[in-house]
Amino acid sequence: MINYFKKNWSIYLWYFVILLGLIITILPFWWGIAASFKTNPKIFGELKPLSLSTFIPGNSFDAYFAIFENNFGRAMLNTFFVSTCSVVGGLVINSMAGFAFAQFRFRGDNIIFAFVLLSFAVPADAIAIPLFKMMRQIGWFDTFYALIIPMLPNGLIIFLFRQFFLGIPKELTEASRVDGLSWFGVYLRICMPLSIPVTLGAGLLLFVGQWESFLWPLIAAPSPELHLIQVTLGRFATEYEAIWNQQFAASSIAGLLPLIFIYLFQRQFVSALTGIEQK
Amino acid sequence: MHFFKKQWIVPYLFLAPALLGTIAFKLYPIFIGLWESFIYTSYGGGVEKRLFVWFENYQYLFSDPLFWQSLKITSLLTVIINPLQISLSLGLALLLMRKTKFIRIIRSLYLLPIGIALPIATIVWGLMLDPIDGLFNSIIGVFGIPPQPFLISEHQALWCIIGIATWKGVAFWMLFLLAGLEDIPKQYYEAASIDGAKTFDKFRFVTLPLLRRTILFVFVADTAANFVLMVPMIILTKGGPLQSTNVLVYEAYRSGFFYQDWGRSLSIVTILTTITLIVIGLQLLFLGDSREGQKLK
Repeated sequence: MINYFKKNWSIYLWYFVILLGLIITILPFWWGIAASFKTNPKIFGELKPLSLSTFIPGNSFDAYFAIFENNFGRAMLNTFFVSTCSVVGGLVINSMAGFAFAQFRFRGDNIIFAFVLLSFAVPADAIAIPLFKMMRQIGWFDTFYALIIPMLPNGLIIFLFRQFFLGIPKELTEASRVDGLSWFGVYLRICMPLSIPVTLGAGLLLFVGQWESFLWPLIAAPSPELHLIQVTLGRFATEYEAIWNQQFAASSIAGLLPLIFIYLFQRQFVSALTGIEQK
Repeated sequence: MHFFKKQWIVPYLFLAPALLGTIAFKLYPIFIGLWESFIYTSYGGGVEKRLFVWFENYQYLFSDPLFWQSLKITSLLTVIINPLQISLSLGLALLLMRKTKFIRIIRSLYLLPIGIALPIATIVWGLMLDPIDGLFNSIIGVFGIPPQPFLISEHQALWCIIGIATWKGVAFWMLFLLAGLEDIPKQYYEAASIDGAKTFDKFRFVTLPLLRRTILFVFVADTAANFVLMVPMIILTKGGPLQSTNVLVYEAYRSGFFYQDWGRSLSIVTILTTITLIVIGLQLLFLGDSREGQKLK
């Protein structure tokens, strides 16, 4: 590895910059979590003047009880449901497409593959408004269908599965064919069981994608019964503008779950995202 | 391969669900956007409903100072935020390549914002930047700086949003650059050392060329993502104060969902998509290697 930092003074500089960056990175987490365990007068009282107690968690769980009376539990259940459906559906259709690209040569394969990759380059938020109009035309507006189905096809995940399936020796799949297994059998019984690491990473991407989505659920499903967690958070921020501890408590809960998953499966997540195998 | 031919339909069957979904939910909406921007009239929030207005929506848009203001803000944001995020994430990635005792923990802490959704980051930062009770004003007060208006000032709001998006974005893009740096074989640096290369030479002649594709990918993807940045505007500023954070994508959102002016909304979406594609095309053209032009990543 290249050593950019040989001289002594540059090591101190390194520590200084790293520490400053760490403070900026962590400050919102620390302060937000600490304040979520306080009552509102305590939060405001400890901000002016600034003291050590500003950053020490309080011992009040009021905010956490209050948010669950404010429909937060419903939003969490909805988000679990939508995320689970997206993970299952997304893994099935995208791995099948990846299998097709890896296993077969067929008319138009390169063009279709380029199209799939390009479609992924268009940001989802850019087509959210016309997609919303389409949902109204086909009657999916304000239903779970609108929240789940348009989000299933995913170029990145097709790409991940294709790369992985390309690594499976052709002898293995062809031998299974000779033994009388159908192509679907090869996909389901031979290839999928081998691809647990990539399935884990891809599933995590799909899960986090839904858990963090905001704009699409905001416009596609405005009914409170269909609210997903980020939409409910946004509603808290505008409707309960002065109730800071509830905003912090809701943010802490909503932020914790994907963080736990990402850190548990950090390696698979990073290789799925960057396409580079982690050492 | 002979027995594949009889079953020419098999690959298409495997492909069908994902491909039809991509066509229906990605390609078709782009055409709806383009088509409906030509057929709905836009004057005064859709009071006058006429079909087939052709380019009237665009003519109307181009004569509207609000549109030009919005385009100006979008350009300003694009020119500042993308180089800022790329240089910060590259700088941090290089710093975090140093091997010390706690580097794994330090890296993990730096990557924390990746797991935090943008709405959450926006809400917490919004409270930190509160002009009256915000943590930031308390902190700068310690250094004797008077309280700042931040998000309610037309001169500071856009910078605050750039800060929020950068806090979240740097960690994300750094992940790619770190992975790219880790991928560079150690031997290249050793060879450069034997040839007497200094630290800066190694960066210039080993790191940069080998990281070029990763940087290009990050630059393009970051630009595309920031063109549609509007969560902080929806939650915090509503495009204000005085239109100072009213980027094109937010103007499209507002025209459609607040004023039901779909002709205008979809015209802006179409213009924005076109600009995005042109800018990304230019980036690939000028920064991409012609040999690498055909590979996406």
